Amino acid sequence: MSTQKSEVPYGTLDLLVLKTLDTMGPLHGYGIARRIEQVSETLRLSQGSIYPALMRLEQQGWIRTEWGVSETNRKVKFYALTRAGTKQLGEAVKQWQNTTALVARFLEAKP
Amino acid sequence: MRVRRAVQRILALLRGSRLDRELNDEILAHLEMAERDAVAAGLSPDEARRQARRRFGPVQAMREAHRDDRSARWIENLVKDVRYAAGSLFRDPTFTVVAVGVLALGIGANAAMFSVVDAVLLKPLPFPDPDRIVRVWEAPRPGATNATSAPDFDDWRRLATSFDAVAAEQWVSAALTGAGEPRRLRGKAVTAEYFTVFGATLRFGRSFTPDDDQPGADPAVVLSYTAWHTYFGGDPDILQRRPFFDGTPHRVLGVLAPGAFGREAAEFWKPLALRPADHPRSFHWLTVHARLREGVTIARARAEMHGIAAALADVTPAYKQDWTIEVAPLDALLVGEGLRQSLVVAFGAVGVVLLIACANVTNLLLARGVARRKEMAIRAALGASRGRLIAQLLTESFVLCLLGGAVGLGLAVLMVDAVNPMIESVPYTAEVSLDLRVLGFVASVALAVAVLIGTLPALQTSVGSLSKSLGESGRGSSAGRARLRRAIVVAEVALSLVLVCGAALLFRSLDNLQRLETGIRIDDVVTLAADLPLEAYPTPERAVAFYDALIPHIESVPGVRRAALSSHLPLQWIGNGEGLQVAGLAEMVNVRFKRVDPGYFAALDIPLVAGRGITEEDRAGGRRVVVINQALAARLAEAAGMTDSIGQTVRLGCPRYATTGVDMADVEIVGIIRSERVSGPGRPDPPVVYVPIGQVPRTDFRLLVRTHLEPAAVVSGIREAVRRVDPNLPLGDIATMQEVRDRTLSAFSRPAWVIGAFAVVAALLTALGLYGVLAHSVSQRRREIGIRMALGARAPDVLKQVLTSAMALVGVGLVLGLAGAFAVRRILGTLLFEVSPLDPGALVLASVVMAAIGLIAALLPAGRAARVQPIAVLREEG
Repeated sequence: MSTQKSEVPYGTLDLLVLKTLDTMGPLHGYGIARRIEQVSETLRLSQGSIYPALMRLEQQGWIRTEWGVSETNRKVKFYALTRAGTKQLGEAVKQWQNTTALVARFLEAKP
Repeated sequence: MRVRRAVQRILALLRGSRLDRELNDEILAHLEMAERDAVAAGLSPDEARRQARRRFGPVQAMREAHRDDRSARWIENLVKDVRYAAGSLFRDPTFTVVAVGVLALGIGANAAMFSVVDAVLLKPLPFPDPDRIVRVWEAPRPGATNATSAPDFDDWRRLATSFDAVAAEQWVSAALTGAGEPRRLRGKAVTAEYFTVFGATLRFGRSFTPDDDQPGADPAVVLSYTAWHTYFGGDPDILQRRPFFDGTPHRVLGVLAPGAFGREAAEFWKPLALRPADHPRSFHWLTVHARLREGVTIARARAEMHGIAAALADVTPAYKQDWTIEVAPLDALLVGEGLRQSLVVAFGAVGVVLLIACANVTNLLLARGVARRKEMAIRAALGASRGRLIAQLLTESFVLCLLGGAVGLGLAVLMVDAVNPMIESVPYTAEVSLDLRVLGFVASVALAVAVLIGTLPALQTSVGSLSKSLGESGRGSSAGRARLRRAIVVAEVALSLVLVCGAALLFRSLDNLQRLETGIRIDDVVTLAADLPLEAYPTPERAVAFYDALIPHIESVPGVRRAALSSHLPLQWIGNGEGLQVAGLAEMVNVRFKRVDPGYFAALDIPLVAGRGITEEDRAGGRRVVVINQALAARLAEAAGMTDSIGQTVRLGCPRYATTGVDMADVEIVGIIRSERVSGPGRPDPPVVYVPIGQVPRTDFRLLVRTHLEPAAVVSGIREAVRRVDPNLPLGDIATMQEVRDRTLSAFSRPAWVIGAFAVVAALLTALGLYGVLAHSVSQRRREIGIRMALGARAPDVLKQVLTSAMALVGVGLVLGLAGAFAVRRILGTLLFEVSPLDPGALVLASVVMAAIGLIAALLPAGRAARVQPIAVLREEG
């Protein structure tokens, strides 16, 4: 396996954010970015890029925000999964597993 | 979720700045926390800050992505453009007011005209399933319509299977007494299924049932909603009242819903009891309507009726053997060809006005574009794409048109009342109102106008190289643009000329109509109508006694010169047609039947051509005589070889007093009068017999009074005189003969006034357009003019040069306009009375008027050019 850091696979950032919030409970943007980096280890994430993703998820109604106070004593938005978001996460995970399983079968197929 | 996101995006638009602020706060908090963690991990503060920034990634790009994602970009741009456009229009109020005003005029006039056209030609009739309502009539030849006889109607009703309902109607009038002032009401006698045919709804009560139109049924009426309100004050207990119609108490069966038959002149309906056996098949007096059975086509109904006509051949009189029965949809018959033509022409004219308005605003926008080139160049330099610039300019024209449309709708409210009288003659149309359809029309017109006026200026203004525009210092106007503006002015002149020509022709035609030979002297004649109630005047003798008593009473009123009676007014069509049988002629001659008293010809100055007029001796018991008009004399000479008709005896169908039916009588022709006009222009004089009212009296009559005083001053005296003879007789339809004549001609005069008004507006708009172009061109060329004056050109030379170039534009426009007038000659020709659509007088007049308007519009800018001070100009340009 290469030690070089890789980009976030296209279209998976939303899934990573939802899963993070599912596991960790409400978090602010920095917390989410940190958590994704820690778990994925090899991922090279532009931390800023999670903000458009968070906004999209909020507009879809999958996450909600509330105001809280950061570790640096600043007013900051905390993001939390909604009920619809939990459901969406389940579907997205299933879909992801289907996709990877399909790709795996394809790659292992004998001539 | 899609919808939710869309809504969120639009909301985000409105909260744009707040969302931006929140995002900034989040970014700051994020960087702070990252920095703190990095310091905790052992980095120096500087190092930590750099790492935090690096790991966050490009901030600006993220912001853009955030913004793009959260709201639809194009909407945001649109909102910006609209704001920008509103701002830039607000900064130039003169331009905005002129442009919006011009557009509002054009759009408003179109909206008003559309609402009329829509009601008359486009909307279905205001009845349920209107396409199933048809008229049925006896057609002597293809294309001709004729009323129907009672036995024929009865056979149709019995035999035809194509219809759900068939009904006959005839106009009647009745004196209403016992409800305040005695009044004369117009109404219709109809057979039982009449309201079923039209599907008219009632406010309350019931309409007629088959029992009601049986001979001997209780007298009853159905009232119109308006009559119920006007004469009975909307009395809710009207069904219990017994108002007197012609002296007999009538039950009121029901009141129609408001708006049913809204435009119809009938105020009441009463059952028409037919005894078909009593009427000959040659007495045509019924108008028949029917409702097609569900699924039956017009063609099938027509085929069936043709079959019925053939089946009735045995009982049909010989002269009607080759007649047939026609069926046609009602809506096609209501709007006459003449009205349709004038509506089409008026709508075309108002469309031209709109085009001219568009041309004007386009020119204004082009001129504005010149002034704004620099602004556009700077915006382009700051990175605005050409598409964005065009979108922005188009937005401006949209905002203009939106404003123009809104103001225009307001104008349309005022104008609808002005064009509405054009369709007075149509009995039932959908309501003329500014409804959603008109709103939709205005919206689409405004949209089309926006594209039309916006595209050219937008392209023109946004094109062109940056450095050139910036270097131009707002002075130069490219040659291409100037040519375009001139071409637009030429088009305006041409279009207005077409309208002015049309107006000139229509007014010439109107002038011809004013001088139309009516065959009578109409000044100082006032007319009134009355209807003798049968209860008080059950016999012809009683009616004649009334007539005999009436005339001396009227003639003794101060101010009255003469009085006369007749069954029909002059200049009005005589609906009553009878057969005239001449010895040796197999076919009857169809003649118009008019009863007159001895004073009639003298009161109206109708000269005798031969023989004598009607005298006091021509009364019941005396020798039966008639006077005929020249048209009938000519007809008799041609058809029967009767060169001298005086003294000849012919057989004439004479309607009976008070009941339907006709008796044939031998009458002697004793005189020939010069034809008086019986109908509107464009129709030849029909053959008319004048029958002494003393020999064939009838209950309803017209009183004609020639006065020496102002007619209005005499009316109360006349009323008093009538009251002395019969205190209960209501008088109606008071009008001077001049008014009767104007009404007869109104179908011809209204289009003239409407088109005339449009032509004036078009000419004014064109003058404005020409003025705008010249003024702009002079202000652009001040420097050039200044130099030329410095080199020795005198003020008159400059004046002449500006005027010459203006008149060159006008001249080209006039030539094109005349070609346009030639192109539309056929459409206009149908509306003209004794004027050729290429009448040289009218065309020359129109051209001169247009040239004069052009000259006036050019004088102001030319004067300004001539007053240019060379020194001042050269100095300011430095």
